[in-house]
Amino acid sequence: MTTDEGIVYDRSLLGVETHIGTFELTREMILSFAKSTGETNPRYVGNNNGDGDIVAPPTICNVFVSGVSRPDIKLEFGEISFFAGQSIECKAEIRPGDVLSASTKLDNVYAKTGRSGKMVFAVWETKFRNQDDTTVALVTESFVRRNKNR
Amino acid sequence: MLLDLHTHSVASDDSRATVEQYIKWVNVLRRKGKSIDGFVLTEHRQFDHDKNYASLASDDGIIILKGAELDTDTGHFLVYGISEEITGELDFSDVNMSAQNLVDICDSYGGIAIPAHPGRAGIGFAEYLDGGVTGFETVKSVEQLNGSNRPGEGEKAESLIKAKGYLGTGGSDAHIVSAIGTCMTSFEKEIKNESDLVQELRRGRFTAVRLES
Repeated sequence: MTTDEGIVYDRSLLGVETHIGTFELTREMILSFAKSTGETNPRYVGNNNGDGDIVAPPTICNVFVSGVSRPDIKLEFGEISFFAGQSIECKAEIRPGDVLSASTKLDNVYAKTGRSGKMVFAVWETKFRNQDDTTVALVTESFVRRNKNR
Repeated sequence: MLLDLHTHSVASDDSRATVEQYIKWVNVLRRKGKSIDGFVLTEHRQFDHDKNYASLASDDGIIILKGAELDTDTGHFLVYGISEEITGELDFSDVNMSAQNLVDICDSYGGIAIPAHPGRAGIGFAEYLDGGVTGFETVKSVEQLNGSNRPGEGEKAESLIKAKGYLGTGGSDAHIVSAIGTCMTSFEKEIKNESDLVQELRRGRFTAVRLES
């Protein structure tokens, strides 16, 4: 966490959860995701015929956070925005038939200085819960804004 | 005694290296015949008084000390010998903090602040001095060798050192495990703790070195 009086954004969004969607995981979706990532572990792709008990690969929630619409934090800094990284904390197994509910919140906005000058990072945390209200994954994503190189 | 004075662990937001992994890599270097006695963790914009790495390092005889790398209005500074007084006086998370005030506070409370990668654009001390910034009379050393420098940045640091008569430290600026120890500082005296480190830096009994190939 850093402080910078100069960062202007909608601070009322900090920590406020916003529902961003409900996603039903089918067996076909899990198999398709596993194969697309080159997974060969029978735990994720089943036996040679694709049969058998499977769970979803740990990073599957990445599919659902990509492209979701988040609240505009109205950050008044910088001209260039780009993705700055993602981490996924797996809390419980995700199985075929699970219905995941996702909510996201603005976790942090901070500044630092690097080779390209000042950068402002916005960190979002998205929580996925299953139909039993068990948290199955926490996805943390960072987005950075900076000025164009002069 | 060889210490890497500039490293970042997972406590920094841009590093994925754990302290345990750094220790393992130091042991790998030693098995290859390289000399490295320890390193200083200089996390970005923070300092944790409660973290203690003594138990991690004691089995391997590796010295692990703590410092910080702070963003200031005159570039990044490495800070050693951080006391409760220093963290009480300064907001380490302030990316616009006054570098002159940082230096003065460290001078007053037993620490020392040294410009990091001074030849780097935007966050290096030399650019600010070139731009007319004055003061900093008590700064006697800058980071001469930085393992993460890009072409030209080391040369600019050398020019600054030559022009101002500064002494030079060395540090890898490691953010990944295999980078640790690429640049270090060679001390004449043994360093056992942060107090020893500050004392030897102030006495100027050190030189910047690269890991021998």
